[in-house]
Amino acid sequence: MKKKYFTLASTAIVAAVALTGCVETKSDVKETDKKVDETAGAKPVLELLGMAANEQDLNIVRDQLVKNGFDVKLNIQPDYGSFKAQEDAGNYDISHSGWTTVTGNPDYAVRGLFKTGGDYSRISDAKIDELIDEASTLTGDAAKEKYKEFEQTLVFDNAYIVPLYISQKFQGIYAKEVNPDTVLLPKSRAQVWETMSFNDTAKNKSETLVLHQTMPSLTSLDPVRGNDGSINTLNTNMNVRLVNLTDTDEVVSEGSLSYNHAMSENNEEFYFVLRDDINFAKVENKKAVDTGDLVSAEDVVFSLNRAKDQNAVPDHRTYSIHENIETVEIVSDITSLEAVKTADGGTVLDALSKDLPAAVAEVVANEADVDNAAGKYQVVKITTPAAFPQVLNYLAHQSGGIVSEAAVTAVNTFDVASYDPNKDVAYGDQATITEGATYANHLAASGPYILVQKNDYEATFVKNPAYLVGTKNEPKVNNISVRFIPDNDSALSALRNGEIHVLQTVPETKVDVVEGDSNLKLKTFDSNGVAYLIFNPKGREVSDSVDLRKAVLYSINQDEIISYYQGKKKPAVSTVSPLVDTGLKVEADSAKVKEHLNAYNASK
Amino acid sequence: MKFISDVKLLLKITQEYVNAQFTLAFSAIFSALFLLYSFNFEEGVWRPYVVALFAIYAVTTVYVWLVSQLIKKDLANVREITKRTRLLGYPLILTLFLGNVFASGFGFMLATKNKTAEYTFAVYAFQTQVFIIMISGVNIFKPYVVDTFLLAMGAFIALAIVYLVMAILIARKVTLSDAPKWMLIPGILLLIPVLTGNFFSFLLGITIIRKARNADPSAIEKWQKMWNKILRNTMAVFGLFFITFMFSLSVVSNWTFDYDFAVQNNYSALLQMPTLEYPLGTDNFGRDLFSRIVFGAQISLIVGFSATVIPALIGGALGAISGYYGKNTDNIIMRLLDVLYAIPGILLAIAIIAAFGANTVNLIIALSVGAIPTYARTMRANVLQISNYEFVESARALGASDLSIIFKHIVPNALAPMIVKATLTIGGAVISTSSLSFLGLGIEPHIPEWGNILKVGSTYLESHSYLAIFPGLCIMLLVLSCNFFGDGLRDALDPKAN
Repeated sequence: MKKKYFTLASTAIVAAVALTGCVETKSDVKETDKKVDETAGAKPVLELLGMAANEQDLNIVRDQLVKNGFDVKLNIQPDYGSFKAQEDAGNYDISHSGWTTVTGNPDYAVRGLFKTGGDYSRISDAKIDELIDEASTLTGDAAKEKYKEFEQTLVFDNAYIVPLYISQKFQGIYAKEVNPDTVLLPKSRAQVWETMSFNDTAKNKSETLVLHQTMPSLTSLDPVRGNDGSINTLNTNMNVRLVNLTDTDEVVSEGSLSYNHAMSENNEEFYFVLRDDINFAKVENKKAVDTGDLVSAEDVVFSLNRAKDQNAVPDHRTYSIHENIETVEIVSDITSLEAVKTADGGTVLDALSKDLPAAVAEVVANEADVDNAAGKYQVVKITTPAAFPQVLNYLAHQSGGIVSEAAVTAVNTFDVASYDPNKDVAYGDQATITEGATYANHLAASGPYILVQKNDYEATFVKNPAYLVGTKNEPKVNNISVRFIPDNDSALSALRNGEIHVLQTVPETKVDVVEGDSNLKLKTFDSNGVAYLIFNPKGREVSDSVDLRKAVLYSINQDEIISYYQGKKKPAVSTVSPLVDTGLKVEADSAKVKEHLNAYNASK
Repeated sequence: MKFISDVKLLLKITQEYVNAQFTLAFSAIFSALFLLYSFNFEEGVWRPYVVALFAIYAVTTVYVWLVSQLIKKDLANVREITKRTRLLGYPLILTLFLGNVFASGFGFMLATKNKTAEYTFAVYAFQTQVFIIMISGVNIFKPYVVDTFLLAMGAFIALAIVYLVMAILIARKVTLSDAPKWMLIPGILLLIPVLTGNFFSFLLGITIIRKARNADPSAIEKWQKMWNKILRNTMAVFGLFFITFMFSLSVVSNWTFDYDFAVQNNYSALLQMPTLEYPLGTDNFGRDLFSRIVFGAQISLIVGFSATVIPALIGGALGAISGYYGKNTDNIIMRLLDVLYAIPGILLAIAIIAAFGANTVNLIIALSVGAIPTYARTMRANVLQISNYEFVESARALGASDLSIIFKHIVPNALAPMIVKATLTIGGAVISTSSLSFLGLGIEPHIPEWGNILKVGSTYLESHSYLAIFPGLCIMLLVLSCNFFGDGLRDALDPKAN
């Protein structure tokens, strides 16, 4: 009996030992993996700040930094407001940022972001300022070389930013109701509302087209007082501009306030011949009415002058975009148009005269004298101090939207210097169009739609009755509602059951779902959106140590991020990348990380 | 022994027969589930492993049915279960290795006539240990295991053998009223495995020690009676089993699971379907869902238990004081608590988290504060009733201080409803923790926690439903278990039932 137990026990032990031989333990694996040896010194601790909407990016960045020997503290804020508050308070080492170049030109992708004193700039570097200014005057390959030099300085030499990826656009359309051919997907421009139509065009009059936006809190409906995702689409569709951007980022007059535009031979003077079939609309009893006030050259001059003047309004967010406009004036003498040549050798008048309803007989200074049918046109001339052809892109931006001089001056009666947001009401304030006691809609829209009112759930728009009536750019649908759904996944659910009709940003991981749904149509296109990390400019270790920043730069593996997004993102170097391919590439390199970390530790 | 002539009544009070019916139902349900899952409707093929599992479960079901028929026959013929029928319990024990804890539990029950509480504890300690070994054992399919894995597994196997041996010894030596003196030593030794979270072993140790010392027979009888009542309630036993198993697994996971699999992203294994290497698949960052759920249990359980114990202590103390002193003391304390009571618990928790930031400690505090008033009310009501009893009067007459009267005489007698309430609210606390994480207000998203895991899963419900099903099941089972156990405890402690 005893012998039997003994045999049993010894067999069990032999079997156990044999089994243990087969199993590899963690330290066995790590020993063979020579890559993972520790850098000298303590692990640097980095505080990573971001919004809950970018949780995935933050997790990947955290993971990659941890694997490269950093300690990461996450600070995830639920919305943009709290995120901004943390950022303003300086509670971060690295902050997750995104930028979309809505004007489609490279200068916009860098000027406000990286030039000293720019609206969003956290960097002050003379060399970068110089490169941005030089590049803005160039075109073609010369510009490409300059932007390459810029990227080299910004990313590789100084590691001011750490690029993550370029996004792609995925638009979902509820094709069961809405005609997908009428829903455009421009690369840079905001959503185009006036073209959209239901499959059954009879519904355009009665049904409400429901669109989507993530942010319910609107910065300001005054085009120069806001420049972010909360108002970009809304303001673009409420205010017409001198020129328009096509789906592929060409600057055209089609769908804008001008019939034609022309650029002088030296690229310093720009001319626009204005239409007379757009009037301002206002809201009365929740309905849009035609004010009878023509969107005229006087309004253009007023709007662009306030756009470039930092002191025109409190909290001016866009003056730096228009700082290259020197003068805006109404041309009163037709001969001056004949005197200036364009690049192709013709006169500006020739260029402006193409396909007009009647040949130019007279250019008039006064709004009251305009009569296109009789050949009486208004022409606006804009000059820039140096050659700057990209100014046209800026004029197509929502901040170049034309507002009514009468409506704005009637509301903005306060003194700008002593403006008190709690007391003074400014043109376009969110409170004036929010339903409730503060409601006092004073908007005057020159664009295809006008905002009637909003609450936290939706903003309702109606068609401007005097916008390009009878042309192909006349708005098709009478009523539009913009539904605020902060979470993109919820928005996708809303799209799938037809609660909203167009979803501008389908999450990358859900593209298959849209493709597989017979009610939906997926459209995809390149985007100018770039996600990147930016460092705290002062008061932190990363502010002073280039080595530490470079260690972060080389820790980030864009290929892994792209594989997380199932190949639906593209590698980026800087915010210019979607517009100019400079040929540079950021490669993750753990050897370089170690080298820079050691240098950083040695410098302490 | 009384002679029971009615076979129907006899069947009703024979635990083995009740147990057999229960096991039969569960085995049948599981067989049906496996059958349903064994055919892949999308691709029109059979899943061979699931078919095999179904076959075994189906055989078990039939076997249990046969045994129950035999029991019926035995009871009709000889008014007790024959030895031959009891022998049929042994093969059933083996079903434990296929995860059929119901059938193996029944097998253990059937195998012996001598059913003491200790026997049940030993059996369930063994079953818990085997489950842990099997769950941890799956890790050998990973590219590597943690350094302590082999040592821990060896220890677990040794423990399992110890429990089994103890079960056999108890079945032979321990009676309903006493145990041999030498059992004191294994009893003390059995307290040690509580470090692995095996609560059954702890209960076993305590009960054996008490019996072996045989110091206070009436207390032993009371203790034995209470546990017998709980153990008769099969659902309560399985509730306790699942809680203990989850708890123990989360305690020992640090020695057998690698935390890196749970938190480090693996971009080459995104959204993998369940395989041997990833038993529950991987999530959108390529993290092993299995490891995440196991580690997630740690936080969920810690927060769940702490958010129950803390308010129970604070609320209990406040309730006892206000119930004992009455008048102004009562008014001040209870009115203040009423103010707290008026604020919805989850809103208060959200406000606290929003103000002080999200981490485990804040989460516990946030969930605890809102639960204080209900405990205080329960305790106050009990104390009001008990402080009128004569033994309190006599303690006062003997000159005992107020504090000693409250905490020595009144509170111990008022504890039963508190314990029941606590077990019932653990589930609620686990759900609250998960809800807060689900809302993004709990713990950092990469840290495994059931709410966090479920949140990731919820966005993949259509394409990769397993990401939501498994954490959802875990939350559901844990909460259900707490409720079942709480119910059993209430029945056992209810003075009216005595």
